[in-house]
Amino acid sequence: MRMKARFAVGGTAALLSVSLAACGSGGTTTNGNDDNNSSAAAATTAAVASSASAAASKCGLGNGQKATGAPIPIGAIVTKQPGTDFTDITNGAKAYFACVNANGGIGGRPVGYDVETEQTDPAQVASLAHKLIESDKVVAMVGNISLIECSVNHQYYETKGFNVVGAGIAPECYGTPNIAAINMGARYSSDGAAQALVRKGAKKLAIVVSNVPGVDYVTQGVQLVGKSLGVPVRVIKENVPIQDANSVAIKAVQAAGGDGGVVLNFTPPEALKILQAAQRQGLQGRARWGCSTPCNTDFLAQALGSTWDGKLFVNAEARLADADGPDMALYRSVMSQYGKDVPVGSFSQFGFLQARIATQALMSVKGAITPTSANAAIEAVKDFKSDMLCKAWYFGKAPLHVPNNVDLTVTPKGGKMAQDEDCFPIADAEPGIAKVRSIERQSAAG
Amino acid sequence: MIAPAVLGLPTWEDFKPFIVTGLALGGVYAMSGVGMVVLYRTTGVLNLAFGAVGAMGAFIAWEIINTTTLPNAVAYLACVAFAGAVTLLYGSVYGRGLAGRDPLTKAVATLGLALVLLGAMSWIWSDKARTLDLATTDSGFSVGDVLINWTQVIGLAFGVALTVTTVAFLRLTRTGTAMRALADDREIAATLGVPVRRVEAAAWLASGMVSGAAGLLLANLVGLDAATLTFLVISSLAAGLIARLHSIVATLAAGIAVGLVNALVTPIASISQYRDMTPFVMATLALMWVSRNDLRVTGVR
Repeated sequence: MRMKARFAVGGTAALLSVSLAACGSGGTTTNGNDDNNSSAAAATTAAVASSASAAASKCGLGNGQKATGAPIPIGAIVTKQPGTDFTDITNGAKAYFACVNANGGIGGRPVGYDVETEQTDPAQVASLAHKLIESDKVVAMVGNISLIECSVNHQYYETKGFNVVGAGIAPECYGTPNIAAINMGARYSSDGAAQALVRKGAKKLAIVVSNVPGVDYVTQGVQLVGKSLGVPVRVIKENVPIQDANSVAIKAVQAAGGDGGVVLNFTPPEALKILQAAQRQGLQGRARWGCSTPCNTDFLAQALGSTWDGKLFVNAEARLADADGPDMALYRSVMSQYGKDVPVGSFSQFGFLQARIATQALMSVKGAITPTSANAAIEAVKDFKSDMLCKAWYFGKAPLHVPNNVDLTVTPKGGKMAQDEDCFPIADAEPGIAKVRSIERQSAAG
Repeated sequence: MIAPAVLGLPTWEDFKPFIVTGLALGGVYAMSGVGMVVLYRTTGVLNLAFGAVGAMGAFIAWEIINTTTLPNAVAYLACVAFAGAVTLLYGSVYGRGLAGRDPLTKAVATLGLALVLLGAMSWIWSDKARTLDLATTDSGFSVGDVLINWTQVIGLAFGVALTVTTVAFLRLTRTGTAMRALADDREIAATLGVPVRRVEAAAWLASGMVSGAAGLLLANLVGLDAATLTFLVISSLAAGLIARLHSIVATLAAGIAVGLVNALVTPIASISQYRDMTPFVMATLALMWVSRNDLRVTGVR
């Protein structure tokens, strides 16, 4: 029946996708007047209160009272197009904001979360930022996650004085003053995977990446880390979608050599192709295999099966979704109440945490919540501790932001991802990381 | 003699595993190419939806395997049956209307079907990582250091078997003879009493079933990914073009050659990342070579 139902809607897929493209962007808004939210409020408050571990973490005021009044507008821009859908992040944020709205809101007012989707068209991405800030009058941008948004809009945000709490992909997400990401992005995540493989004994590395514009930004990082560790690095660029994964797997193992390691930086489906090809040819034991954070999904672990248990080391930018801790408990509780359709995993964790950071910042505003006061409060965020992350998150005034620069390693185990290594710092052989550490030291000293 | 390593080339040992992967893929390219050429010769339609139909069949097989308790064999049969049915339906609905149109129009019309199926697959199954297991992949044998699984062997064997069967079918059966008559001249064949619609329907159905079988094998050999499987048709198309969309045996040889050359270029670092061009380059060179002979025959300079 489920398949029949899917086919019923699937037949119109092409028409709908054409409609979506014609619309340019789709927007969704949530606010505190949602009946479902209010009915779930008491339950979530009870769930949070009944959990001893969750006692220190709550949705906003956590008072179980539905927020009223004019919503506080908060915006987000997210990539959603065939093959690339990051809306799990904004959906995670939306779930937390819904919980906040059901628990007293921010100063009694609900959050109106306005999410705009984009399809990697720079003109569209720029116009969406203008629309949100100038027409919709959002006071903050929270949960942005896009293939190009940081590159396109960072100067606009600097001009308007907006401090964006986002998740990053493009280099500008980690190298500009007005954007701070909750994650560390493909470059530093690949560094983390490379570091893990060297710790596992790799004497030579091959980094395999998709052959797309800007990918040198990722490979340069691993080359720098390899150089600092005395490990030669060979770069392999592969066109995607990969059509002959068997050959790619063989090539990667040959490039890594006998005591080598292979780092993959691909979307999960492409990484899966290579890993399965390696498995089919008995190559999983011929090299140490690593992967940047996109591989950190139970879906991939399940697809791989037990053959890869303890043989694939994946960089993780946040604790696994089943970890213990107050924020993790609250996250699971919020998702079960307000985000039932949102997959539990790192993406929705990022969204949840971004919304929690923004909520805490806005709750600290004295007086009217305006773009000026809201973004000043976001900039003032420092030492934001969460058991989801390895170290406290911060925004602060700085020429660049990489607040998440300490990571974990996970590995498949019985169809799920399990922690392999506890928190470790990304190598400061990376110029960006070295600068950030210097800023952190100065900040701590000051 | 200068060692390959001195020239920056991989050694023979490095090349060996790529021969296996190239032959396996080449076999499936050949199989797909044969399916496309048979349809083209019978109906004049170059079916660019060949890959998308097989891909959707493979996704249906995955769905059955992962969400029902039915035996895997049912899923595999469903894949082939779906591909045959969709292709037959398309041919039945649009075949007549397209019959009098030029080849480009016919090909572009099938591109529409490919895009509809691609959109439907994205809608239904999203882009999450999936795997389609075949029991034949779990076992195999070694040749030196190279591990060969039975799916790779089947990929090549299917291509060869389909070619032999198709050639025999076209030569020895009434329907095959009718298909060849249609390929030569549709109008005259119809005048002589060949049941055009029925013969074309048989070609659409057979071609669709081949696309389903190819989709199953490729989903395992390459990966269960809608876009990848949809556009793998390009390699098969190149094999068909090298054979001038005419010779079944030449299509087999060309398909294997495309797969083999594509794989053997992989370990050569300087050109490896351009290897996706292999089918186009080979097709272009082959067409130039053939045209050169044609021009010489007609005396054109």
